[in-house]
Amino acid sequence: MTNAVRLLGKVLPAVVFGVLFLGTWEWAVRFFELKPYFLTAPSSIGKQFVSNFSFIRRAATVSGTNALIGLVAGTVLGVMMSFVLSRFRFLNQIISPLAVALNAVPIFVLVAVLNNMYSITSEIPRRIMVLLVVYFIVLVNVARGLTQISSTHAELMRSYAASDIAILRKVRIPNALPFLFVSLKISAPAAVITAFVSEYFGGSQNGLGSRISSNIANSKNAAAWAYVLAACLLGLLFYLFSVIMESLSRKGEAK
Amino acid sequence: MSAVSIRNVSKAFNEGKSNQVDALREVSLEVEPGEFVSLIGPSGCGKSTLLRLIANLLEPTAGEVAVNGKSATQARLDQDYGMAFQQAGLFDWRTVRKNIELPLELKGWDKSARRARAEEMLQLVQLPEFADHYPWQLSGGMQQRIAIARALAAHPPLLLMDEPFGALDEMTREYMQGELLRICAATGTTVVFVTHSIPEAVYLSNRVVVMSPRPGRITKIVGVSLGIERTEDTRNQTPFFEAITAVRGGLRGMHAAHVGLGNDDR
Repeated sequence: MTNAVRLLGKVLPAVVFGVLFLGTWEWAVRFFELKPYFLTAPSSIGKQFVSNFSFIRRAATVSGTNALIGLVAGTVLGVMMSFVLSRFRFLNQIISPLAVALNAVPIFVLVAVLNNMYSITSEIPRRIMVLLVVYFIVLVNVARGLTQISSTHAELMRSYAASDIAILRKVRIPNALPFLFVSLKISAPAAVITAFVSEYFGGSQNGLGSRISSNIANSKNAAAWAYVLAACLLGLLFYLFSVIMESLSRKGEAK
Repeated sequence: MSAVSIRNVSKAFNEGKSNQVDALREVSLEVEPGEFVSLIGPSGCGKSTLLRLIANLLEPTAGEVAVNGKSATQARLDQDYGMAFQQAGLFDWRTVRKNIELPLELKGWDKSARRARAEEMLQLVQLPEFADHYPWQLSGGMQQRIAIARALAAHPPLLLMDEPFGALDEMTREYMQGELLRICAATGTTVVFVTHSIPEAVYLSNRVVVMSPRPGRITKIVGVSLGIERTEDTRNQTPFFEAITAVRGGLRGMHAAHVGLGNDDR
């Protein structure tokens, strides 16, 4: 009972703000008689969302699948590479600047290149794009977790004459786990965004990103907004997933 | 056979470079089995370096370090000593019990033996009810007691401690000193103890080794004759104050020598 009340206290301000925001939006559109191409009312976006739901769901499945496959593959590759990097420090010095540099350029343009490498209807370029974005986020964070162990722990393990494998298993990997979950929290929404944006560079017009751009091109703004809403929900779903993963790992720790 | 034997040991960092630091120069010290020896001195006097040379966490530039009659390297490989640091250095993802079991795990002990020994160590530090807690659920003093339990889990003959109570408040600190003496008396462990605190060094030790910096060396060794049984009363008795005065004199003499007043009583 008290838990429910406390939860309500936490959620209520956000809900009130959301309702007020949507209400003001709706009111502004009606009061100033804004044209739909300028700003669409939330009510008409909602109507579009409901009437187009089966199309939206199909598009969300396409984008969501791309994001999920890229996220999983990128995480696995990133974790594997971070082990290699932490083992061979000189590689770290070569790869880390590259990772930072790649994060700084708008690497979405790579999709255009990848599109030329695969058939035009292929989803692979988009998945590779997501993979790359996730890969570097995971790589940089997990490698840091594997290498940055406290000096006390390092001296302690040396005093035990512990082998490199033992140090890896008993210190480095447990130390890196929180870093992995932080990188998942960052890369899960990034995976969804990358999956959308990748669709702007040609290929099949089947995902949320391409539906948004084609609806805007046809001045169907309310429909475009409905797809934006779906994109937002998909991003939240991925974020929620990463948060749940993290809390599960915490539970495992606390038994 | 000495528990620790240090002969003409020197340690330089960045040797041969322009920023060479002589952390220790020609230091010799013998520690007898069962003895409690404190290393005291200002920052940069090399007391932590000396402890790490005994632990073989560092290699000497010159001279010999022997532990239990073996080379320091062999003693480390055989886990002939346990070590405790200023940070308790417990692993947050392990329960208290699992933390204590870690050195035994690395030695390849089987599960039931590990568990029994962890139980014994928890009794020794008087925290048996906290076996399944996580380190962050414990106070600083409790964490340090667990760190001591971990250091002694494999029953090493030697305990090396680097300012283990430095981060604790004064009350907890005095309590921990009593606990440490009780534990050492119960186990017969030899201790080399690095500290900044004169009363702490005197209260705990059979001998207090006073060190001075640039280059790090031993300036004076003060024998403490407070007897074996030390209680809270010991802190109020004349021999305690006399030993404190002697150690302080050693530290002062070094200071005077530095400003060119006193004689160098090495």
